[in-house]
Amino acid sequence: MRALIVDDEPLARRELRRLLSGFSRVEIIGEASDVDEARQSIESLSPDIVFLDVQMPGGTGFDLLAQLDRMPRIIFTTAYDQYAVKAFDVSALDYLLKPIEPDRLAAALKKVEATTAPAPASESSSASTSASASSSALPLQGGASSPSASTTPNATRADGPMEQLFVRDGPRCWFVPLREVSVFTAEGNYVRLQWGKDKPLLGRSLIALEEKLDAKRFFRANRRQIVNLDFIEKVELGLGGRLHIQLRDGPEVEISRRQARQFRARMSI
Amino acid sequence: MLAFTAPRIAAQPERTQTEMRDSFLYAGLQWGCWGVWFWVLASGEVLLGEVPWRKALLVWGVVALAALCLTHALRGASKVDGWFALPVRPLVTRALISMAVVSAILCGIAVLVSLGVYGSPVSRMSANVLYKLPVSVQVLLQGVAISATIVAWVALYFGFTSQRWRYRAELRQAQLSEALQEAELLLLKFQLNPHFLFNALNGVRALIADEPRKAQDAVTQLARTLRYTLASGDAELVTLGREMEMVNDYLSLESLRLADRLDVVRDIEPSALDARIPGMLMQTLVENAIKHGIAPLRHGGTLHISARVVEKELIIEVSNPRPVGDDHVPREGVGLRSASGRLRLLFGAAATLNLDLLDPGRATARVRLPA
Repeated sequence: MRALIVDDEPLARRELRRLLSGFSRVEIIGEASDVDEARQSIESLSPDIVFLDVQMPGGTGFDLLAQLDRMPRIIFTTAYDQYAVKAFDVSALDYLLKPIEPDRLAAALKKVEATTAPAPASESSSASTSASASSSALPLQGGASSPSASTTPNATRADGPMEQLFVRDGPRCWFVPLREVSVFTAEGNYVRLQWGKDKPLLGRSLIALEEKLDAKRFFRANRRQIVNLDFIEKVELGLGGRLHIQLRDGPEVEISRRQARQFRARMSI
Repeated sequence: MLAFTAPRIAAQPERTQTEMRDSFLYAGLQWGCWGVWFWVLASGEVLLGEVPWRKALLVWGVVALAALCLTHALRGASKVDGWFALPVRPLVTRALISMAVVSAILCGIAVLVSLGVYGSPVSRMSANVLYKLPVSVQVLLQGVAISATIVAWVALYFGFTSQRWRYRAELRQAQLSEALQEAELLLLKFQLNPHFLFNALNGVRALIADEPRKAQDAVTQLARTLRYTLASGDAELVTLGREMEMVNDYLSLESLRLADRLDVVRDIEPSALDARIPGMLMQTLVENAIKHGIAPLRHGGTLHISARVVEKELIIEVSNPRPVGDDHVPREGVGLRSASGRLRLLFGAAATLNLDLLDPGRATARVRLPA
């Protein structure tokens, strides 16, 4: 596993490096001391796993995740931050408290290895990945990618479409697998996700998001909405030749006149 | 300038309100009682002294007005000199002396007024009632009567006011100990900042293997910091020198954590080291400066700590760079608010604490207190 250490304190980085030296399967490929540096390192090095401090100058670990398009496996590290720890617990995210206990670190790494088992695997291992995919917070790689994509060893390749998003809304945060989102609705400069029962708000614009989405799965229905084609239950012809889409777990979405022709072509109707 | 004023500043107007109520009560009683005294004696003068109203009113009007002014002046003197803060014995001594002085002056005035109006040293009332006695005894007895009034006034005023004073002092003491308790809790929760504590421990753990000497020093500094923090709830005041020892330990630990992001410039006048401050005051300022100013800055910055004594006042300044546009005052307030509340209770209006955020990239905390 290729690991990146993100922490603003040199001593904390040194300590984690020393602790990780006991794990032969972990290779430390870099260090970063703030959010910007970390984002660049993640984009250029594509680590498998990132040890991420919460409190850093110029932004928190959460801020970093909100900027990422492709998500490595994340293990948060924090000395004491009651709000962050609460968020981790509520959202079932992996975290380690500093000073880090070697046993805890070993357990966390084991968990990561279990969920990111090498992809060209037998039936049983792919079953385990898809099982964990239904859990909201965890699977960052194998689990998040669609079953077809899981045949590629590294699903976080820089050229593919975005598979997963980090969303923080109030005290809760999630790694949201995008294929589980039925509709994205613009709210001002933000985007509301319709994701099962949850409707978290994302701090990005709809236009910025659209560029990153898998065009095979997602379709811009109108000025304010992008729909997940996999969630379409039925399509109805409304007044004035407008198309209405009924989504499986979402509201009815109207397709704008401009997009209707393209939609017909896509769905071959 | 953004002045940090604790919620307890609300106690200030409240106090002046009770003071005003006291003043009204005093003025009412003063005018009312001397007015009644005046009318009783003037009527007596007319009925017993068989003089026209004009003369009776003049004689006793002058005496009553003099009595009113003299007792008022006495009240002023007692307030200015802070007699009621004194222990019982000196207070009683002052009460007795002032009784004698005020009575003597008032008797003299009565004699002079009688001489002016009647050509005799006693009022007609006294002369008629005491006609069998010699004039000198008449003067003496009239003097005793007038003095008795003054004695009653002083006894009532001093008794009442000293009671109120003692009650207020007790109340203030209770407030102070309550605030200290609260401060103690805040210390445990915020000054003994868990974020700092666990990061320091993590740093020590990192040092143990490669730099055991540094690790040993860090453990010692951490122990001293904790001991000082825990003890600071007990003593109200410590010398700045003692506080700075702790602050230096704290800064060494923060330097471990922040490495080259933290620079410290100390400018402490040697004469300021003996000045007494509430424990943890400087520590609170320094910790705030690092937590909200230097730590969030990517390249850190320089912390300036200065202390000097100017005209019997200790002036402490802690100045630091901060992220531009971060005027997030409420969160910075917790530690400073407790410090400000403690200062107010210990020194009243003589001490001030304010946080200057005028410069968008800097914060300067200033404390003034009597040295």
